[in-house]
Amino acid sequence: MQTTDPLERYSRQMRLPGIGKAGQERLLASRVTLCGCGALGTVLANALVRAGVGFVRIVDRDFVEPSNLQRQVLFDETDIAENLPKAEAAARKLRQINSTVTIEPIVADINRSNIEDLCHDVDLILDGSDNFELRYLINDLAIKLSKPWVYAGAVGSEGMSMTIVPGQTPCLRCVFEAAPAPGEAGTCETAGVLGPAVGVIANFQAAEALKILSGNLAAINRDLLVLNLWDNIIRRVRIAPLAGRKGKCPCCALRRFEWLEGEHGTQTTTLCGRNAVQVSHRRSSRLDFETLAQSLRTSGSVTYNKFLLKFQLNENGEFYEFTVFPDGRAIIKGTSEPDKARILYARYVGY
Amino acid sequence: MIYLDNAATSYPKPSSVYEAMDHFARHHLANPGRAGHKMALTAEHTLDNARHRLNRFFNGRSPERWIFTLNGTDALNIAIKGVLRDGDHVVTTNVEHNSVSRPLVALAEAGRITLTRVSADGVGWVDPAAIEAAMTSRTRLVVVTHASNVVGTIQPITEIGRLVRSRDALFLVDAAQTAGVVSIDVQAMCIDLLAFPGHKGLLGPTGTGALYVGPRAEAIIRPWREGGTGGDSSSPTQPRELPYYLEGGTPNVLGIAGLIAGLDFVESQGPERLRQHEIALCEKVRHTLSALPGFDVFGPADPAQRVGTLSFRHHSLPAGDLAAILDQSFDIAVRPGLHCAPYIHRHLGTYPEGTVRISPGPFTSENEIDRLLAALQEITTGL
Repeated sequence: MQTTDPLERYSRQMRLPGIGKAGQERLLASRVTLCGCGALGTVLANALVRAGVGFVRIVDRDFVEPSNLQRQVLFDETDIAENLPKAEAAARKLRQINSTVTIEPIVADINRSNIEDLCHDVDLILDGSDNFELRYLINDLAIKLSKPWVYAGAVGSEGMSMTIVPGQTPCLRCVFEAAPAPGEAGTCETAGVLGPAVGVIANFQAAEALKILSGNLAAINRDLLVLNLWDNIIRRVRIAPLAGRKGKCPCCALRRFEWLEGEHGTQTTTLCGRNAVQVSHRRSSRLDFETLAQSLRTSGSVTYNKFLLKFQLNENGEFYEFTVFPDGRAIIKGTSEPDKARILYARYVGY
Repeated sequence: MIYLDNAATSYPKPSSVYEAMDHFARHHLANPGRAGHKMALTAEHTLDNARHRLNRFFNGRSPERWIFTLNGTDALNIAIKGVLRDGDHVVTTNVEHNSVSRPLVALAEAGRITLTRVSADGVGWVDPAAIEAAMTSRTRLVVVTHASNVVGTIQPITEIGRLVRSRDALFLVDAAQTAGVVSIDVQAMCIDLLAFPGHKGLLGPTGTGALYVGPRAEAIIRPWREGGTGGDSSSPTQPRELPYYLEGGTPNVLGIAGLIAGLDFVESQGPERLRQHEIALCEKVRHTLSALPGFDVFGPADPAQRVGTLSFRHHSLPAGDLAAILDQSFDIAVRPGLHCAPYIHRHLGTYPEGTVRISPGPFTSENEIDRLLAALQEITTGL
């Protein structure tokens, strides 16, 4: 860049009274881990890197696919042609946007064994994920290490976000003690997703991140923000009274990190010579096949009886068959890769 | 019985270990990863959880790098026989247990490898410079025990690890006497392979052990035992993925359930606190015996340099006799002899009679140590 002052590129942002030169310098010295780099994650990464957040670690397990381009703003057709992992494709683009900050792409499935390594050296954790297992894991770790994080999710034309500052705000489990059961919440694959809805909610998250990192904790949103861009609804739900849930929140009050300790969550088993992986839950739940069948019919063919639900799917030329059981367990045929099975399960059954 | 043989296997275990194993055996003892039914899944979760816990405790790179073994010896054999190739040179020390020495000497005698054994100093401490001096361009592997099972000396593992890495060899550490009582960080210590039993300082049952395989070792290690892995059965040979590559056969999931209960206890107390308890008891013995006529006590004087294992002998009473009297007349269990480590005894001048070794555990009381000391005085009075 043809400029002598390295801060010049941030001049418009520094003019904001809440940021200024001091706030900008804090942003440049701050470190963030972004968990997931899909629709939310690309918007977040874009905003943070442009704003001059000094270090952004981007962790994602997936590769860029054609159905991502409708809303995942950092990717283009070249990334698909080159079959790039999302973390790498995003880093490549982001380095063109701002070569003065550090971007660390990591292609990995975030789990309870590596999450601490990925997040221990940052000031803020951002949720760019597509599944609840990861969100509860982030919540456990953020409370354990006393680091702020910003939750968001979007499906259909709806989005939701809340900002968690340990010791100051409710944590995710104060508000939603249990994750929705498998199949209970829609996913982008089953319910669809409106690109702008993800964009709005992720930018809201990004603004929260910039407030926290520039030292403006007083300015953060302490409510649960819920919006529906199709129905023109924007709501703020007051959650402050839920903080610690009267001393009984398992996570932030009792400090039982059940997701980090592996009491909840999924496990995968590669099944003997069948090119299939079983995804199961450490604590079993009950699935409603009728609801699940309804949500899956837009993506493939579904049949079910009271013992099992079969779902056949063609995704980018690959054929997969899900056999789902009432306790949430699923055998996914068509892959022997546990990571791929987790991705498919998160997309279609939803967890 | 006053049990002072925790360096061989710890006893008693925390009661939570017995309870965890009883519960697991009655409710969940299925074959993990072979079926996918509820019990098999619980068993598999127990294994996954155990790998996660070991990985966290020893700061490994990832959980699948923790291979369950029968014991420490099994882990050492998988490591040694898995990474060595014909013509390789190996550096080890004269402090090693036979579980390291015997596989190496057998390979050397068969003409497969060449072996250099570096000597410790008078208290059983190995100088990293001596290891470095022994290394050649053919050195594939350096094997060092983290702490002597005879005199308790803790070796400078981090320094040795760094220099082995700088010379591009692999570093195998035998943590039989340290896992659970000395903090180990495999990444910071540049350890490529860490072998340990589950039934000593980690307070699990016999029949358990583990081997950590770091990325540099993973690139060359080959399976020494092959068989069923529960997944990928169509492959004609062992699947390449860890841990299955090195873990053929049904794992000891019952023992592992107990091992993790033991690790829970260790983590709740903290390794350093457990070691402090044990060395304080050993110090009392060292202090008292040093003042009594006829006793020689071995190992470093500085308690910071040792684990809770102490060797001594009496001038006129062979170690075996002394141990038999302690057992027969005082109901005190100690370990006499060479402790499967003949080279260090030769070095100390205690070969072939050996020494009496005491090794207290987390549940050993000061009163029990006082009774040992009273017994020793009574036995040796007038000799």
